Amino acid sequence: MGKYIFKRLLHGLFSVVCVVLIVMVLIYSLLDRNKIFAGDPNYNHTVSNNRVTYEQSRFEAFGYLDYVPYADYINSLVKSGELTDDHRVSVAKIGNTPENDSELAAEYIKKFTDYYESMGYTVTRLNADLKRNGQIRDGGQPVLFATRDIPLYMRAITYFTKMFQFDNIHYVPDDVDIGERKLTFTLYDPVRNPTGTEKVFSPAIMGNGTKHKYLLYFDSRFPFIHQNFLTLNLGESYTVNRGVDVFTTMTETQGSYILSTMTFPTGNVLDRADDLHTATYVPNSLTTDINRQRFVDDYTNVLTFKDGMSKIGYSFVIGIFSVIMAYVLGLPIGLLMARFKEGVLDKVGTVYIMFIIAVPSLAYIFLFKAIGGSVFHLPTLFNMDSDDKLMYILPIVSLALPSIANLMKWMRRYMIDQMNSDYVKFARSGGLSEMEIFTKHIWKNALIPIVHGVPASVIFAMTGAIITERIYSVPGAGNLLTQAINKYDNGVIVGVTLFYAVLSVVSIILGDVFMSMVDPRISFSDKAR
Amino acid sequence: MNDDLNKMFNMTDEELFAPVDHSELESEKITAPRYSYWRSVFRVFFHHRINIVILVLFLFIIVFAYVYPSIIHYDSEVDPFINLMNPESKHLSPAKAMDMFGHNLHWILGAGSSGESTFDSIWYGSRISISLAFICAAINMTVGVFIGAIWGFSKKVDVIMTEVYNIVGNVPLILIISVMAMLFSPSFWTMVFAMTIIGWLGIAYFIRTQVIIIRDREYNLASRCLGTSTVKIALKNILPFMTSVIVTMLATELPSYISYEVFLAYIGMGMSDRSLGRLIYAAEPAMVTPGWQMEFWSPVAIASIITIVLYVVGQNLGDASDPRTHM
Repeated sequence: MGKYIFKRLLHGLFSVVCVVLIVMVLIYSLLDRNKIFAGDPNYNHTVSNNRVTYEQSRFEAFGYLDYVPYADYINSLVKSGELTDDHRVSVAKIGNTPENDSELAAEYIKKFTDYYESMGYTVTRLNADLKRNGQIRDGGQPVLFATRDIPLYMRAITYFTKMFQFDNIHYVPDDVDIGERKLTFTLYDPVRNPTGTEKVFSPAIMGNGTKHKYLLYFDSRFPFIHQNFLTLNLGESYTVNRGVDVFTTMTETQGSYILSTMTFPTGNVLDRADDLHTATYVPNSLTTDINRQRFVDDYTNVLTFKDGMSKIGYSFVIGIFSVIMAYVLGLPIGLLMARFKEGVLDKVGTVYIMFIIAVPSLAYIFLFKAIGGSVFHLPTLFNMDSDDKLMYILPIVSLALPSIANLMKWMRRYMIDQMNSDYVKFARSGGLSEMEIFTKHIWKNALIPIVHGVPASVIFAMTGAIITERIYSVPGAGNLLTQAINKYDNGVIVGVTLFYAVLSVVSIILGDVFMSMVDPRISFSDKAR
Repeated sequence: MNDDLNKMFNMTDEELFAPVDHSELESEKITAPRYSYWRSVFRVFFHHRINIVILVLFLFIIVFAYVYPSIIHYDSEVDPFINLMNPESKHLSPAKAMDMFGHNLHWILGAGSSGESTFDSIWYGSRISISLAFICAAINMTVGVFIGAIWGFSKKVDVIMTEVYNIVGNVPLILIISVMAMLFSPSFWTMVFAMTIIGWLGIAYFIRTQVIIIRDREYNLASRCLGTSTVKIALKNILPFMTSVIVTMLATELPSYISYEVFLAYIGMGMSDRSLGRLIYAAEPAMVTPGWQMEFWSPVAIASIITIVLYVVGQNLGDASDPRTHM
């Protein structure tokens, strides 16, 4: 059994990698990359050569290519000591045309060109855009840069190698003086003992030189123990939630800030919503006043406490209740429909199933919203800041309606299939009552294929539903993919697809395992096969 | 007994019974009524009165969607914007619209956000949506059934195709459709392309499972032993078995394309033509304004009616095409 599941997992992993590759081809190679400027207000403000460099820098930000401006190259030379600071200005100054370059600049431009062309880059030089009178137009300064499209395999390899990040004390670049690089274990977490006198027992592992300041800590939020040694990096968002990883986008809390009076490492007591445990390293960030007020080192980037749930949280709460509702209602109704076939319940149920299958989901969700709002006076819009539990009812019910119909349909089908089988006839001839036959024999057998779908429905409860969340304006995870597609956020598209693919693989395997647990006749071990 | 008969007719045995010649030719003829599959299908189908009602409704929809816009010379470029400049003609309830433009069929559902006749644009939108559904279904079903049959028959193909199915099935369909829509213009044929490029895969998988179930039945084994070729087994032994399955599937496929088009339009990834989905998407803001709901609910209602009619006709035709119901 274990070996079989391991094999299935490997197989699933292969599928997931293929899915990511396909998605990468779709969005990076097939799509016209200039579309990203369609909704970009800055794009129309740039003109001439500036627009070209702006385009390239955006392409780099969206992950299409590597872009190296000449100035960056010069800076790196200065940093490595190959070039002195005095020469920097004269070397970096590009002439309006290649003929106008100073001798020194021409030498380095040649170096730049040779170096990057040997690495497969395309070096582009644009001459100055001049007005009639010989002056340079706004944004028409001469430019020199090297670009290289990131090939698919490189992109995929980088993506998968960066996916799991192990935090270590060499995360901060070696040339940064950050003090002694080490991991420290403390029994008294400084966040909970800000002045050092409270002696609140709370073990924590802290790092210096790592990305996260707190690598292991306890707090009062579920699941109470948190680790930062291993972080999941599904892809950085660019437009949807700038600079934040997809996984964090889905799991971070939303809503309004919960302010509390807290003592910062500097000793200052302020009313803020910062979660000091989540501090991460940002180079040279201790220069701003707001950071200096609170922190004593460069670990200044913190998440905040908000009163809402995360995107996945909202989706999951709504999803899981609707799943429960669907199984609690759908299975018994399907069973009764089969038990009293051709009866009133069967006919009404069949009409309902037909309605749900045939009518566009948009139509019945809107219909339901209208009925729920006007007849039952339930809130029809979701409000994160409200404590009203009633606002969950309509989304839950709307989401449950189609699942109920689906479960009714299949339960009835499987029950009727079982009812015609030989063992039922045998049981009946043996004198068992219909009730006994149904509850002891048919029900159990009909449930086996149903059980296969349970893990999938529970797992996919957290990905949310696009239409339901949109109609009731639920801040859930369902809209993330469409949002990312509309905003050309390639990182999010890849990350969300990967997330869905992994969930789907896991849920199918879990479904098989569940089924073999319910039905002892099904076995996945090699021997029995 | 003979005595009774004799008394009843007042005739002798010789008069009542005469020997008949034995004819070799006559004995070869089958006296049972001729069985025609499709005639039986339609006999069973029309036996239920509800089917006739639904079919009439279906014809009604087809006439309105395909003939009515031509009769009134509906031009999707002109008509929706014909009253655009007149602010008083926008968002009218049926009663007001009829007062304003006269009591005729056009204004029976009121006027929309740019002063157009809701009734006319709904039928034009229905034409696009129904055409989309039928074209997509035709392509997907043809390709799906054909590939599914091969997939079910050949074990080598099965290994490869199952892998393809597992992989492609995990690529979100919305992503593929939106990439297609961005790659080309979001026109009608782009939508057809996007919906058919992987749409056949699910159908093929379903057919594959059905073929595998029937493939190894005894009668096919017997047929094979008698030397029937694989093609003939596929066409003569298995395809008739699958007719009802295919028709039933068509019944769920056809409305699903309309629903999916509505869904795509609603999330802003639909086509640029004024289809039903696009009308619903455009009228969504009107839904929350009191007195304007008509423009939103009319296309929704028509879309629902079309999908229900297609579904019921298909389901009942599927039931009727199962030979076991022909008794």
